[in-house]
Amino acid sequence: MANWVPLWLHKLGSPPIFYRFAGIVRPWALTLAILAAAVALYGGLVLAPADYQQGDAYRIIFIHVPSAWMSLFIYGAMAVAAFVGLVWRIKIAEIVAMESAPIGAAFTFITLVTGSLWGKPMWGTWWTWDARLTSELVLLFLYIGVIGLYHSFEDRRQGARAASFLVLIGIVNVPIVHFSVNWWYTLHQGSTVRLVGPSRIDASMLWPLLTMMAATKLYYVASLFARVRAELIASEGGKEWVRAIALGEDARS
Amino acid sequence: MTPGSTCAACVALFRRDLLLAWRRRGDIAMPVLYAVIVTTLFPFALGPDAALLSRIAGGVVLVTVLLAMLLSLDSLFRSDVEDGSLEQWMLAPQSLPLLLGAKLLAHWITSAVPLIVIAPVLASMLRFPTAAMPVLVAALLLATPLLSLLGGVLVALTAGSRRSGMLLALMLLPLCVPVVIFAAGAVAAAQDGLPFAAPIAWLGAALALALVLGPLACAAALRIAMDA
Repeated sequence: MANWVPLWLHKLGSPPIFYRFAGIVRPWALTLAILAAAVALYGGLVLAPADYQQGDAYRIIFIHVPSAWMSLFIYGAMAVAAFVGLVWRIKIAEIVAMESAPIGAAFTFITLVTGSLWGKPMWGTWWTWDARLTSELVLLFLYIGVIGLYHSFEDRRQGARAASFLVLIGIVNVPIVHFSVNWWYTLHQGSTVRLVGPSRIDASMLWPLLTMMAATKLYYVASLFARVRAELIASEGGKEWVRAIALGEDARS
Repeated sequence: MTPGSTCAACVALFRRDLLLAWRRRGDIAMPVLYAVIVTTLFPFALGPDAALLSRIAGGVVLVTVLLAMLLSLDSLFRSDVEDGSLEQWMLAPQSLPLLLGAKLLAHWITSAVPLIVIAPVLASMLRFPTAAMPVLVAALLLATPLLSLLGGVLVALTAGSRRSGMLLALMLLPLCVPVVIFAAGAVAAAQDGLPFAAPIAWLGAALALALVLGPLACAAALRIAMDA
């Protein structure tokens, strides 16, 4: 029967098994991420035609839009992990949630920086108090708050649980902020790529965008797994399996 | 010994907090003094131009009140963590959310009500039009308990950690953005003679939601942060 899926997930909750699994997946994800990013950049910067209105300046979307998607995607992933960690007290889920936060903050920061670089020639200003920009800035503060709360506790697990709760408060808050700021003032263009119905973007521009999206996702996996492995070694130090790894590597070198 | 009813426990806690605040009246005055100082500095920084001051008065008063509340929120659970009363409430047979609700109400009365009383004076100092004053007070009456409840959840989360007032401000900012937008929206609309019912209604709806969920979230956060 399909019993192996829950069984495998259950096993993955064990630190040594997750450590080994992450070690196998990480190099593959990183290699694929670099390849996909290279292809997407070539497609976006060289092959895709210039925009009839914005000229070459629009090409920043190949960085900006995938980063913006990732900033929200990582928050969602973090919230799921935080929920699982809080409800079932799974240590791996807590670590995954906490180690996602810096990566998400980095993508949010990239989104804001590339957005303001694009805004200068297009809107004539680095920054404007527009709904999407403000929501993204609030998202960055949320990420920083989560990281700050996590590090303010002496005990890592207690910090992770408190910060997980903050993540869950945040996921309720993000739509409210977006809605309220939208009501307040808006300038940013609506979304061009849609899941349902035809996208209002040419295919020659769409495929590099989607490839870059895949690359950022894979990069997230690679980066997350590297961070989780390091955190596992740090927090599980003194346990038998960590000692075995340390001694094994010592013997090899 | 049988435990008292939840209602009696809430009233006892409420009275204790009010009494404690009354015994240290100087602490209640601090946020008010802070609000007065901040508002006094604005005309010095921007110049005494009446038109400019009356335009920004509503926003300045709202933000000042918010910052003054942040100042007092930081110490919401501090003395209770230090003398161990917080652990007693968590172990008590009475429901923790209701006890925390009583505590937050006492905190709102001691910290926010003086600010709401002083707010019209501060607004008049900045040449805020008298006609729009009731809307400003109404917006503050709805926004300050909302901030108390939201802040209470976050303070509960930091209860077990090393103290950091800056961290609280950082965590509260994303939560108070909608509150500030709607409160300031109502005040600005009233100032321009536009209908202000919609933002006030939104604030009221948010407050109703926070009144129900806030104490529950606060209790959950305390249990997580104190690792019970």
